[in-house]
Amino acid sequence: MRLRFPLLALVALLAACQPAEPTPFRPTEPDAYARILYPADNPTTLEGLALGRDLFYDPILSADSTISCASCHLPELAFTDGRALSTGISGRPGRRNTPSLTNIGYLHQTLFWDGRADDLESQALHPVADPNEMGGSWPLLISKLRRHPAYWPAFRRAFGLGEARELTPDHVGKALAQFQRSLISADTKYDRVQRGEATFTAEETIGHAIFFDLADEPATTFATLPTGECAHCHIPPHFTNQRFFNNGLDEVHQPKDFADAGRGAISGSPGDYGKFRAPGLRNLALTAPYMHDGRMNTLEEVVEHYNTGGHYAANRSANIYPLGLKPDQAAALVAFLKTLTDSSFVNNPAYRPRVNALK
Amino acid sequence: MKYLSLFAFLSLFLVISCEDDDDLVQPQNIATTLEFRAAYGGADLAIQDATYDYPTGAQLKANLFQYYVSDLSLIDAAGNTLVLSEIDLIRYNSAADGPVVSRTYDVPAGDYVSVRFGLGVKPELNAIDPNNFAANDPLNENEFWSSVTRYVFAKIEANADLENDGTFDTGLTYHMGSDALYRTLTFTGNFTIDGTDDPRLVITADVLKALTDGTNTFDIADPAQRVIHGGNQAVGTEIWNRLAEQFSLTLEQ
Repeated sequence: MRLRFPLLALVALLAACQPAEPTPFRPTEPDAYARILYPADNPTTLEGLALGRDLFYDPILSADSTISCASCHLPELAFTDGRALSTGISGRPGRRNTPSLTNIGYLHQTLFWDGRADDLESQALHPVADPNEMGGSWPLLISKLRRHPAYWPAFRRAFGLGEARELTPDHVGKALAQFQRSLISADTKYDRVQRGEATFTAEETIGHAIFFDLADEPATTFATLPTGECAHCHIPPHFTNQRFFNNGLDEVHQPKDFADAGRGAISGSPGDYGKFRAPGLRNLALTAPYMHDGRMNTLEEVVEHYNTGGHYAANRSANIYPLGLKPDQAAALVAFLKTLTDSSFVNNPAYRPRVNALK
Repeated sequence: MKYLSLFAFLSLFLVISCEDDDDLVQPQNIATTLEFRAAYGGADLAIQDATYDYPTGAQLKANLFQYYVSDLSLIDAAGNTLVLSEIDLIRYNSAADGPVVSRTYDVPAGDYVSVRFGLGVKPELNAIDPNNFAANDPLNENEFWSSVTRYVFAKIEANADLENDGTFDTGLTYHMGSDALYRTLTFTGNFTIDGTDDPRLVITADVLKALTDGTNTFDIADPAQRVIHGGNQAVGTEIWNRLAEQFSLTLEQ
């Protein structure tokens, strides 16, 4: 009987040591999209999302605390950087163009231009130790975060950790994934037209018809227009089918001659050399330059590339061939592509650094 | 009296439990794999990894072959239908993935007499937009044309060398689908699933047989017959019909 009080006290003490359960949170999603697939082992919580947001903007992740995720993924540029190739620590050039993060949480298949990451959680682990990106070391970073007076309690709270040694790179990846999964764009002019809240201009209407090959459809009023063949790969609502294609950027007669093996380096199949993941086109007007190596500076150049049919490769997509777009039709296609811009997304304060961010 | 009531209640519970157990006896489920094999002229289809002869003298390199399967079912000896999958997409777009797509289902042990599936997206699903399905549902594999033309039931894409100059510079892109094209295919073949020496169920689709029946060959030299997209399905009906007719089921031990 005399033991009862110490036992109760011990139980109370142990309970007090356990962090409170994090608060579940699901960002509002538009009806037009199939719902985001939240991984069972990383549901978004208010605490995890805030932590991921802080980490995203904090250069603490890089070796010399000069580069953050946001150094390449600037929100005002739809989370790209305006450079042909990303720039890493000490100005080191990256290998490829920075992809946009618009609606990245909806892209549940592979990530990166070559699809080398299976999900956002694992994708987020890549840049930290890449010598051309953040140039750091996971053991050092984790050691720093475990001892950090602000980050360690935040990790503890977000993931219910007991001791600092439980903090691993996976928790960093999970927090960053939670923030990235919240980056939802659904208020472009295209979206508003779909919802019946706006109408395309005459030029945008023609561009829309070219983009979606409406000349192919029965009883169409666009029968005389060329087909752009765009939506085979860039299919709405996210304007990507998340698969890999050679889009005729370079004339290549042997797979080994591709300057960048792309998907082939991951799959090991020569037929996949020179293939890259079709990027989503939302906010395209903000994400120049274009292609995996940023070789094209304008949307006009991009449309002209596809209008010519691109260059020869045996694995060039069969849907890439000369389109026969006249100059006004090419301009109309560009006008339509600009309707995919969502200014409310790039200006959303919830996607910018927190005022009271962890330091 | 109190104990007597308790005894009576427990006895009743025991009897009911035993009866339930008897009712719940179910045939044993066996993990059964169906293999969807892709071929060209009888050989395994190797995306971009092989050069294939075309009957007109041209050569082809395949880029993509895929088709939707609706209501994949086994029919048992009593005529009962066991639906294994309501909708699936069978896709070959990288040699790294090989020529066989395998799917495994829990199948009650028993005798079966046929395999049946619908080629394409069945009309009741074809009427529903992709956003109504889970993001990882086969109907969210971004094979949706538009609110008018709906899902793409099947695709064959290849690059052809028409001049035999070693360059595969003529794209062939056949995208097919509409409610009118939907077909139900049934393959008869008696087999037993009991967990011992079960046969491998192999459904083979041969791309060449979709393009030619040996007598009539799709004319890929004609520019008007290199692209079938969206609503111009009339050109592709010939390919679709042959595609639907050439599937085969083999039971392999």
